[in-house]
Amino acid sequence: MYLGIDVGGTHTDAVALDEAGIAAQVKVKTNHHDLLASVNAALAGILATVDPRDVRQLNLSTTLSTNAIVQGTTEDVGMLVVSGTGIHAGDFMLCRDYHALSGSIDHRGSEIERLDEAEVKAAIASCRKAGVRVFGCVGKFSTRNPLHENTIRQMIGPAEGEGADAVTLGHELGGRLNFPRRLATAYFNCAVWRVFNTFADAVEKSLERLGLGHVRVNTLKADGGTFPLSQARKMPVQSIFSGPAASVMGIIALCDITHDSVILDIGGTTTDIAVFVDGQPLVEHDGIHIGSHPTLVRALKVHSIGIGGDSAISVLGEAVRVGPNRLGPSQADCVAEGCACAENARPTLIDALNCTGACAHGNVAASRQAMEAFARCHSISPDVLARQAVEAAAEAIYKSARELIGEINDKPVYTIHELLEGRRVAPRRVYIMGGPAEAMKEAVRQRFELFTVVPKHSGVANAIGAALTRNTASLELFADTEKGVMFIPALRHRENVPRSYNLRDAERDALNHMLAHLSEMGVFADRDNAQVNHATSFNMVSDGATTGRNIRVKCQIKPGVAFPLAGTGR
Amino acid sequence: MHEAKHSLGVILFPAFDWSISPTHPEREERLLYTQDQLKEEGLFDIEGVDEYKPGVASREDVERTHFCFPELEAVATRSHMVAAGGCITAADLVMQGRAKKAFALVRPPGHHAMKVVQGSRGFCNINIEAVMIEHLRENHGKRRIAVVDTDCHHGDGTQDIYWHDPDVLFISLHQDGRTLYPGTGFPTDCGGPKALGRTINIPLPPGTSDEGYMMAMERVVMPILKDFQPEVVINSAGQDNHFTDPITNMNLTAQGYAKLTELLQADLAVLEGGYSIQGALPYVNLGICLSMAGLDYSGVREPGFDAVRHSQRPQIAEYLAKMCDTLPELYFNPPALSEAMQGGVIEDGWFVRHKDIYYDTDGISEAQTESLLMCDSCRGLLKVVSRSTKNPDCLGVEIPVDACPRCREMGLAHYDEAQAKDGYRYTQLINRVDRQYLRHGF
Repeated sequence: MYLGIDVGGTHTDAVALDEAGIAAQVKVKTNHHDLLASVNAALAGILATVDPRDVRQLNLSTTLSTNAIVQGTTEDVGMLVVSGTGIHAGDFMLCRDYHALSGSIDHRGSEIERLDEAEVKAAIASCRKAGVRVFGCVGKFSTRNPLHENTIRQMIGPAEGEGADAVTLGHELGGRLNFPRRLATAYFNCAVWRVFNTFADAVEKSLERLGLGHVRVNTLKADGGTFPLSQARKMPVQSIFSGPAASVMGIIALCDITHDSVILDIGGTTTDIAVFVDGQPLVEHDGIHIGSHPTLVRALKVHSIGIGGDSAISVLGEAVRVGPNRLGPSQADCVAEGCACAENARPTLIDALNCTGACAHGNVAASRQAMEAFARCHSISPDVLARQAVEAAAEAIYKSARELIGEINDKPVYTIHELLEGRRVAPRRVYIMGGPAEAMKEAVRQRFELFTVVPKHSGVANAIGAALTRNTASLELFADTEKGVMFIPALRHRENVPRSYNLRDAERDALNHMLAHLSEMGVFADRDNAQVNHATSFNMVSDGATTGRNIRVKCQIKPGVAFPLAGTGR
Repeated sequence: MHEAKHSLGVILFPAFDWSISPTHPEREERLLYTQDQLKEEGLFDIEGVDEYKPGVASREDVERTHFCFPELEAVATRSHMVAAGGCITAADLVMQGRAKKAFALVRPPGHHAMKVVQGSRGFCNINIEAVMIEHLRENHGKRRIAVVDTDCHHGDGTQDIYWHDPDVLFISLHQDGRTLYPGTGFPTDCGGPKALGRTINIPLPPGTSDEGYMMAMERVVMPILKDFQPEVVINSAGQDNHFTDPITNMNLTAQGYAKLTELLQADLAVLEGGYSIQGALPYVNLGICLSMAGLDYSGVREPGFDAVRHSQRPQIAEYLAKMCDTLPELYFNPPALSEAMQGGVIEDGWFVRHKDIYYDTDGISEAQTESLLMCDSCRGLLKVVSRSTKNPDCLGVEIPVDACPRCREMGLAHYDEAQAKDGYRYTQLINRVDRQYLRHGF
């Protein structure tokens, strides 16, 4: 039995399922002040009908790290930065304890200028004085040569005593080139490290208590894969923005998508829009922004807009609008049966859908009452207001989807498998999931004028996606046969290679190291899902003679679901 | 955090599958480290700096610019067409207002390619700046254009293409031709009879450093540009004047290049040469990008930099100061035609000159007879007869932009007559008035 829990902005959804279908599903309100309580409540709901001994795996998607950053409950980080030549390191000042150090490594990984050890010592001492316990060490071109990052790591010292609770080294974040992104990613990884680990401890305790101690726990990433909790404890930043990915993977599990399609996940507060090309989700090539900072965190390409079931309806002149403000739950949800709405109660999209008869959710009478009162204030008939509100929501979603597709068609398109050049995306279907999916189906179909599908279990598609998402991994290999070195930054693996080392050797080594790393973590990865995404080899020439090869290889375990859930359930 | 003062579009086309030969300076690896450096700096995450894919130049884009013998396909590969297409993309970005400035960071280069192309010379096949300029004229209605060529080698191809064009100001700063390929580019070469003073050559002695380049820029280039008032300024940004370049002898640094770029304020820049691919290009290109975008470039420093070793000898400063006194005169008071015939003669109202051209990369020798009709009401009809060790007699006829009716009529008649009577193997017509581009021969 697979468990999936998606802690979302409004609801926490959980499912238990196996190849035969869904065994149990639970929806509870998310308690933002105590996410653990939400997880516990969801688990308790599932275990009411499922025997804990049958459960083999729990996949967890949480907004924990995201919330910590948004709410500013992160901890102070000591950033030790070696930027060398180029744009000044001071320009990327992310936090108070930020120290730009001298030293320089060039694009081939040659040390141009040495670290000034006295300067490093002083910087560490200054951080300690400020009470800093977590450090990020980031150097320009550290993915070519991690010498400076490693030296600083040693100077910080071990975890015990004076050292540090956690240290993130820039090159551990992967081999991609982008120093400012590496810097920001390392910073956020350190900043949420304690919050995440405290939460992970508590979740493990809860599982033990609920008889789920034997369960393998994975955490969802934003790129449509999972990684083991033990790994997530080291790289919590990768768990950020995993919610939209859970929904996208849910649709993959529930539907056999082959065409270019638009995927809408209509939640309480937001609607997430994703685009599939030839049945494959698209990835954000460079990595997501956290706040205003671009990072190296890979993610599926998802566009969010502030329209959901709980979005407030407003009237501006002649125009009826929905969202982006969320003014608490709908009247249908918050007014008890038989009671009257509060005065000036603001109806939401759900209330409008109740009024048009698209659904009958919660207290329909309260929805009508609030809609009538609000319509009276603006001298419109309640039916017209409700209809226009639903149309406005569909219009806003449509416009946003069009924008996203326009943006995709402007640039090279990267799916989870490959780069598609010169491919124009033209969606032929719309898939809708989330709470108000069925109710919005007709309005969306009319606006998009496309075949529209609401799959079964669409209300918990996100939790299904979480439960079934496979482990993924990716890494970059860099080899320079003139220097006789091969380096895989993400694994901190560096070895000497002979001058005869070539592209084929590099591809083989990259795949083998990736699979070996996964199996060390206790993850079974099918070799068939491993692929080389990028492999190049350049002859390096000096004074008219070839001196070696400069080789770059990228490989990944393709994202996917453990098995499709096309059946109708038990 | 960062925001570019001038929005900048960078068109990166490293042509990772094209080389002249495996160990030639113009090889696959050339822009590899530059691409690495720009990526590692996070240049394209800066607000206002964006990377764009190059387009592909069409046959017409090249055939409105060059006479290609025997035909376009024989002298240009797909990589050449993309490099030229990258320049067109850059021009479109700026003209459409999508970016304030644009830098075509493309290869293979083009500034040694002349009006007639029979093969590759100085690593160049088609002149990518010229293709861009003719695109600007044909599709964006621009007329007055200035090209400042800062490549270490004399931009003899661009000079040749615009020799008779008074609306294109061509200024080249290069290592003195007595010491470097192609061996041309002296102050006495200052334009054809209809465009005297519109070609300015500034030969710099070997060892010229940042200081010398800035002197030439401030005292010669900038005052001339100010007077010429071009609609578009283009920089042919070759980077072989760097102190680490293996095939030249100059002392320019990445900082010097960025300063020069800041002073020039070109709308469009195009990469030309530059063969110190590890020690110079990553830093110089970064410096140019930051400088064009109006960002702080003071942190850009190449590994081998040594302030003492890379300063210039005082004698060079003295020599340059004298030259800077006289050079602006060539533009402001160009010599009389009688003193600037350069071996040309005037016969029956035509200005005729003979040229011998050697295509060093492909080993082709060419002999040309170029005739310009000395028209009083337009730039004048151009006729070129070319024969080489590769091709027998070929004819090119160009009816220039804004040609007068008489030149147009004569051009069309000449072309028809040549088809019927003269024994040319290949003929090509560039008719800018009617946008007609014809090719005959097989």
